[in-house]
Amino acid sequence: MIKKLVYVLAVVLIFGSCRSGEKQTSETEFEVPDSVLNTEVPISEDVMQNIIQNISSPIEMAALIKELGVPYSNKYLSSTDRVNKLSNSFKQSLNLGIYGADLGYLNMYNKTSAVIDYISAIKTLADEIKVGQFFDFTTLKRLATNNQNLDSLMYISVHSFNQMDKYLHSNNRSNLSALMITGIWLEGLYFATQVAKDAPNKQLAERIGEQKIVLNELILILETYKKDKQFSKLLDDLYLIKEHFNDVNIKIIKGEPQMIEENGMLTIVQNDKSIVEITPELLNKIINTTEEVRNRIISL
Amino acid sequence: MKNIRSIILFLSFAFTFSIYAQDISQLTAQCAANAGDVMYLKDFVVKLDAGTPGGAPPTARFALLLSKSVVYRLSICTAPNSEGEAVLQLFDMNTLLGSTFISATGKDFPYFDFKCQKTGVYHVFISFKEGKAGEAVGVLSYVKKL
Repeated sequence: MIKKLVYVLAVVLIFGSCRSGEKQTSETEFEVPDSVLNTEVPISEDVMQNIIQNISSPIEMAALIKELGVPYSNKYLSSTDRVNKLSNSFKQSLNLGIYGADLGYLNMYNKTSAVIDYISAIKTLADEIKVGQFFDFTTLKRLATNNQNLDSLMYISVHSFNQMDKYLHSNNRSNLSALMITGIWLEGLYFATQVAKDAPNKQLAERIGEQKIVLNELILILETYKKDKQFSKLLDDLYLIKEHFNDVNIKIIKGEPQMIEENGMLTIVQNDKSIVEITPELLNKIINTTEEVRNRIISL
Repeated sequence: MKNIRSIILFLSFAFTFSIYAQDISQLTAQCAANAGDVMYLKDFVVKLDAGTPGGAPPTARFALLLSKSVVYRLSICTAPNSEGEAVLQLFDMNTLLGSTFISATGKDFPYFDFKCQKTGVYHVFISFKEGKAGEAVGVLSYVKKL
């Protein structure tokens, strides 16, 4: 009797938790996290509040590149052929971030035919690290295949990554989240530096120089896990990039923010100014080291 | 019989939680859509209890990294069942940059744009007017480069 009741209620629960149009399997949701969990440092609620959101977005760098009028090129993308060779959660999480940034780049340029490969790769990796339930593969595939509703495609892609990130944090797996974010950031920096190599641009050079601030934040997070050999090796690679960024000068000139209300819209203009000093030689060093590190990571 | 009651209680709780998650997900999607022709970047889900009389209103705080030369849009959407109305504020260190509620005029805005001139860490604060209880979603979107 009890068994029957549990079964009926479980079915109700499973169906109740499914979103419309989404095939969702619950079998991976409750599995014990993999061995990397052993290196996890529990994060308190207070610390959680201070974890920086939006440290690297899968679409922001791609949006900037597109707005600069740079044409699409698939040579910047990482190949999806190697997905099944990524053997542990460290590599899977890092590459999940890399493919996430690639997906953002493809979405930005509306390259929906190539999107399928990337969402398949992301789904595989997300399943491996037990967050596949947050990646709405079915809907994304349908939208990409029909080349329709590109805004939704973009929204669901980014939202899925945010959901995976939140889930990892709330399940004491922030180490994997840190890797995913690192992958997103590194691939974004790789796009920017490759574009700067092909077509030098002052605004892009400044944006690359400002990544000094982002990298410092990222390193702070990753250093929490430096006792792990793989993290330590990753940090060594990032220190190589940081060494060049140390020579980038960023000066801040303070100003008063201004609030403008126009046609019922409110706009806040920040009147602080930041001046980024980055020489062409320094930029070249950053370009080369980023390429070297990123290529090493995707060949792991 | 006690076992059955426990199971029903547990599953009812889990079912309610899953409906809550679905509602929040819908509210987030709606809030992102209401932000207009912009690109969704991040959401901040908040559920706060009522504050104590005379005390500071309970506030959720989020640190976020924003980039120079980008126009961001910060939106706020209060869940329909909330007692209070949510307010989103953006801070740079201790300086208030913008808010969806302008206390001087008593005006509310569903969102505001922020023309960022300095890459760095900023803070989003979300609270409910008069310290009431409520649920809300804040959304950060990318508008364009400056």
